[in-house]
Amino acid sequence: MLHIIDAVLVTILLSVLLSLGSNRLKALVEIMVLQGVAVSVVPLLLEYHSEIRQGGIIFFQIMILIKGVLIPGLLYMALKKIAIKREVEPIVGYHASLLTGLVLIMVSIVVTERLHLTLPAGRELLLSTAITTLAAGLFLMMSRRKAITQVIGYLMLENGIYLIGTALTKQSHTLYVVEFGVLLDLLVGVMIMGIIIHNIKDAFDDVDTTFLGSLKD
Amino acid sequence: MIEYVFILPVIAGLLAMFLPSMLGRGILIITAFFHLQLSLMGWFGKLSPTFVNFFRITPEGMLVLLVTSFIFALISIYAVAYVSETGLANERIFICCLLLFLGTMSMVALSDHPIVLWIAIEATTLVSAPLIFIKRSKEALEATWKYVLICSVGIALALLGCFFITLSMDIGNINTPFSFSSLNQVARHLDPLWLKAGFVFVIIGFGTKMGLAPMHTWLPDAHSQAPSTVSALLSGALLNCAFLGIYKVHILMNFAGLGAFSSNVLIAFGLFSVLVAGIFILNQPDYKRMLAYSSIENMGVIAFGIGIGGIAAFGAILHMIHHSLLKSSLFLSSGNILLGFGTKLVPKVGNMAKLFPKTFVSFFAGFAGISGFPPFGIFISEVLIIIGAFKSGRYAAVGILIFGLVLVFAGASRIVMDISFGHSSQEVLVKEKFFRVMPSIVLLLSSFALCIWMPDSIYQKILHTIQTIGGSFHG
Repeated sequence: MLHIIDAVLVTILLSVLLSLGSNRLKALVEIMVLQGVAVSVVPLLLEYHSEIRQGGIIFFQIMILIKGVLIPGLLYMALKKIAIKREVEPIVGYHASLLTGLVLIMVSIVVTERLHLTLPAGRELLLSTAITTLAAGLFLMMSRRKAITQVIGYLMLENGIYLIGTALTKQSHTLYVVEFGVLLDLLVGVMIMGIIIHNIKDAFDDVDTTFLGSLKD
Repeated sequence: MIEYVFILPVIAGLLAMFLPSMLGRGILIITAFFHLQLSLMGWFGKLSPTFVNFFRITPEGMLVLLVTSFIFALISIYAVAYVSETGLANERIFICCLLLFLGTMSMVALSDHPIVLWIAIEATTLVSAPLIFIKRSKEALEATWKYVLICSVGIALALLGCFFITLSMDIGNINTPFSFSSLNQVARHLDPLWLKAGFVFVIIGFGTKMGLAPMHTWLPDAHSQAPSTVSALLSGALLNCAFLGIYKVHILMNFAGLGAFSSNVLIAFGLFSVLVAGIFILNQPDYKRMLAYSSIENMGVIAFGIGIGGIAAFGAILHMIHHSLLKSSLFLSSGNILLGFGTKLVPKVGNMAKLFPKTFVSFFAGFAGISGFPPFGIFISEVLIIIGAFKSGRYAAVGILIFGLVLVFAGASRIVMDISFGHSSQEVLVKEKFFRVMPSIVLLLSSFALCIWMPDSIYQKILHTIQTIGGSFHG
């Protein structure tokens, strides 16, 4: 039997692999649109014991708007301003990154099995996807030099954490005010990072974080 | 309506953004003192929360709130004197972010819902980032980038920790509202394994913000590059807020019977922070970085004291209060030195005793206080922590702690002596002014006053704070 949720989760996994293998920054932002929307619809597709409460549907629409439109939009604007198209000389190469991505998927499947959680049916794949996304986000932050790619890594990390919250807890989707606060923080965070990236470009004529190394002991 | 405590600064901050900067200065000082008044009303129990699901008055929260509010009131005076003298380019953003920073920190102090606490702590990062970047130099840019990125990733991990705590609720089949106060009631039924995992992630996450080593790397950069008013706030108020996040989960662990585990984690992080600070402070060429490493050391001492428990927990809370007072005073004095000499490098500045006598008094007294000399409070708190650790039989840990403290003292005293009495080739750019010296003197005097006469209500609040983790003054 085919479940839509599985298709969405596989999309997320593919988006993670794509982002690890891609060197064009514009493509990375487009991948984040796909991933953001996919992550936002996952809770809607899970089988709930009860219907989504009033106010919930507005929240999910706002969430798709923020994760799928506003945040990638901010990134796209930052990208246009800095006029840099490619990530050159990453710390870990693209083929090695892809391989790492595959290893991460395997590891997270093993971890999910080992945790021995009594998850509702169908959530095993969700948890594996979540752990992969989180780990890949961290990996992306550490293995790339451009500031904007690091922000994208941070976003993937957040997506992963959000998915883990969705997979593990029954209660996480009851207080929309609180969830909205988390999203707002994320949005403002990306905005501020965008402004800093713009300033890095102005100051150093590049957004390479290797320039940011004058403060140390 | 205790929520007014954080709503007021946020509204005032947004107003200051759109009004002329002269009005903004007035708004800053008036809001700061109104905030102090509100905090005092909350302290004496005159206000109660409206949104009971999210906010609650706790003794630990009120302590942090009152300290923050008191420091902010004095710093606002300094800040106004500072901006009117130096003519900061982005004054409106500066004042707006200062007020928002106060608002978000007050929200941290009142939060009862773990995710609301998380939102508030992340918000403090976001509104303080522009403050660090306000001077727009390349170094400030680097410091801001590190600050935002490292803290955001760290705090994201704390969110994961919060989800693990929710999971431990689900596994234990508990159906209470997700808030610290109601979780404490049912803590015994929470799943211990996931609670432990949650605590580890929370201490890594909020520990990044609190400046515990090895997650402290943003702290010296941010503290040295930010304007001194902001450094004083970061060190004196923000670190306490992050500590509060850890402390609340530590209380939960104690209620769940896992206090021994969380205490050991806290002790380990605390000792490591003290040692790291001691090593990096030894050959430090920058006096603001020296103060930043001293903050890391003091946060380590606080984590250590809380981990030991008993009378050391009393010492740790006392340490938190006095560290805030003394360190913000020191950062304000260092701001005067920076304005006067125009450089942060120790070899270039000197002879402060002659050139800036008032700043010299406050800086030197602050240094004596922060190193643990009487008549300032850190002396008492450190003695209490060391006695507590001896009582609980952790001799090796005390040995490491004292070794770390000696290292920090050795490093810091060399710098302070150089600045105060050494030779200076630099010309004096800006003279010291009354309004830039008075706040740091008042902060020092309040630490001194608390040392010889502690009001009973503060004593009781500290006792209530540490009661939940099994601490007492006679334990």
